[in-house]
Amino acid sequence: MLKFVACHAMSWGSGMRRMILLAVIFILIITATYAKESDQDETTFNDFTLNIGDRIDVGDYRTELIEIQSLKDGLAVMRVSKVGGALDEQRAFLQNSANDFNGGAEGDGITLTVTDILDDQSAKVRVEYKESLGTAKKRTSERASRAPDAPILSVQKSFDKNQIGVGDEVKVTVTVKNIGTGQATNIQAEDLPPLPEFSYIAGYPPKIKETLNPGESDSAVYVINAVKEGSIRVPAIQVSYTDSKKNLKSNNSEPFNILINPKDKAELVFSLRPSGPIIVDGTGSLNISLFNQGKAPATRVEVEGEIRPSEGLEAAGLDKSYFEILPGTDENYSVQLSGKKAGNYTVTLRADYQGGDGAAVQEGMTEVVVLEREYKYLYLLLIIPVLIIVAWSYKRYREYKY
Amino acid sequence: MLNVLMLGVGQCGNRIMDAVNKEAFGGGATSKLSKYCLKPKFPSRVETLAINTAINDLKELRFTTAKDRLHVPNLHGVGANRNVGKQAFMDNRDMIMGEIEKRGDFDLAFVITSTSGGTGSSFSPLLINELKRQYRNITVITVAVLPFREEGSIYLQNAAFSMRELMDLEADGIILADNQYMKRFSGDIASAYDKINSMIAQRLLFLIESLDSEMLSVTDLGDFKTVMNGGLRIGTLGFYQADRKNTSIRDAIENSLKPGNLLYPSNITDDAARAMIIVQGSREYLDTDEITKEVEKLSACAGHVFKGIVVKKGYPKVLSVFALAAAPELESIYAQAARAMQDEKEKRGRARKQLDDAFAHIEDLEEIY
Repeated sequence: MLKFVACHAMSWGSGMRRMILLAVIFILIITATYAKESDQDETTFNDFTLNIGDRIDVGDYRTELIEIQSLKDGLAVMRVSKVGGALDEQRAFLQNSANDFNGGAEGDGITLTVTDILDDQSAKVRVEYKESLGTAKKRTSERASRAPDAPILSVQKSFDKNQIGVGDEVKVTVTVKNIGTGQATNIQAEDLPPLPEFSYIAGYPPKIKETLNPGESDSAVYVINAVKEGSIRVPAIQVSYTDSKKNLKSNNSEPFNILINPKDKAELVFSLRPSGPIIVDGTGSLNISLFNQGKAPATRVEVEGEIRPSEGLEAAGLDKSYFEILPGTDENYSVQLSGKKAGNYTVTLRADYQGGDGAAVQEGMTEVVVLEREYKYLYLLLIIPVLIIVAWSYKRYREYKY
Repeated sequence: MLNVLMLGVGQCGNRIMDAVNKEAFGGGATSKLSKYCLKPKFPSRVETLAINTAINDLKELRFTTAKDRLHVPNLHGVGANRNVGKQAFMDNRDMIMGEIEKRGDFDLAFVITSTSGGTGSSFSPLLINELKRQYRNITVITVAVLPFREEGSIYLQNAAFSMRELMDLEADGIILADNQYMKRFSGDIASAYDKINSMIAQRLLFLIESLDSEMLSVTDLGDFKTVMNGGLRIGTLGFYQADRKNTSIRDAIENSLKPGNLLYPSNITDDAARAMIIVQGSREYLDTDEITKEVEKLSACAGHVFKGIVVKKGYPKVLSVFALAAAPELESIYAQAARAMQDEKEKRGRARKQLDDAFAHIEDLEEIY
């Protein structure tokens, strides 16, 4: 501004130069006065991110972040002092709430505001002051930051089996361990049930100690039963707790996938092998094999046989009982068949058994043919008597022939 | 059980014996088929043997087994010559008796023969002698058939001499059957022979059956032998079978005594010496009182009458056996035979004289060539 005034004064005349000079002087005087008045009233501010122990120096004022008292409540403790001992005050700052010291920035003091609490170790602080106090500067604490007493809970949820089948009981183990440095209190575990694939048997919900000291752990076990096959995602267990400063914290386990296989079942298969067609009044055999091709043993096997039509074919020993047929094994037996009347007959065998998934029924059937007696040599009945008669007659003829 | 031997000797004897075998097969037309499928049914153990010198006569038999036919070898009949026949028998006696011996022991033997033929009339007396000699206790009955009177002089001659020889034997009796008498049953000779043979066979089997049966009133072989030893030891058989029109036992007995039902013509009232009446039938027909009355009536004229009653299902059958005290018909036969022999002798004399006269024409001549 001064340069601008000088330039105008030189280009114009001397009279004018005086006028201009006076005006410039006037302006200069006005400007200086204004400038002096302006330096005394200007308020400025700066934002700083402070860790615990860091300090902001502005003028004679010293501002230090003592601790983050509560993240939840937005409380941080700061100490404000003034060189010379005129001010030395430690105060809890509510987040976004301005705190004036020595009249604040509008006066001769400063105004401090915790604009954000970043974590339990740091916070963002705004300082407002008069420019006359100079420029606010951050002083990093040369002290090593003391590790706070912070609890950290690790959460783990696991199944005792990798292979699960429908109907299997599974023990679910929930383990919570305090791997932090502070005591965790008010521990609460929230485990979402993986329904509907499981049903609960015992131990649910899991109970974890409410307090765990550093390095201490606790486990809870509950038993569930797989009821439905399929691939499911087991949800995480969430644990909430508070530290010594009543800060509410939480952690959760990793969700994982698990496959529930179909339940092992016994599967009996009949194999019926008749010896072939039976002639009326003749006999044949029926070889019966009962094979368990399932993965579970079949127990209490009751085999009952039925022949349709019910008359004309007789069988002895169709019904059988077996206590157990192991997977991959078979039971064999043979039945003698007696044909009484020609025709086609259906032999049906029905096996009732317990197959690992409740009662099961398996049927097998085969066709048995009873043929009419083949009178292959029936003509002999005619020929033989004729021959006998002829022979007898010839014998008689020879007896009487003279 | 009676052991019976039936010997059919000569053509007539063979055929009667064949008729006996036929009756054993049931008789009638069915016997021809029965022969091939049934065994002969005799009431007792009956062995039969047909003996003949003519093989063609043996071949004609139909109901006699081959083993029961005995051919006397090297002969084709004896030509009605009894002398040849006798010589043939003597030449083959051992063979003939050997065949009989093979058939075992017997209680009763029937020798069935014609009195007029060559083989039968010549063999039978000798055969009966041999039987009586070889089987001491055997009862031998001769069934002798008299010829048709018109059959010729040789047959009559044979009948006469044969009958005399038979009468002289120690046989237990002769049952006579007269072809001449019975030929009235049929129109032609062939069917008459068959009818006569069948009648004789039927009566002989009835007699055997009756003698071997359990009777209500008993007659046996001894009684029969006694009857046959009565009178001339010549007897005959009468037979009658009642039918449903008349089942009266009294009528049946009376009918069996009538001349028309006898094998030999005789008058029972006058000629019978002894008799045996055998009655067979269902019990309801066998009125014992009536049988007894008839037997008593017969006894009044015949002397002694044996009575046998056999209960067997059927209408009454009556067999009457008579021993004759007189046989007038035999005398007639002998008279005819004598005339025939005389005629034959005269014919032969005349023929000889004619021949000698003829030869006299060349008596002093020589053959000239």
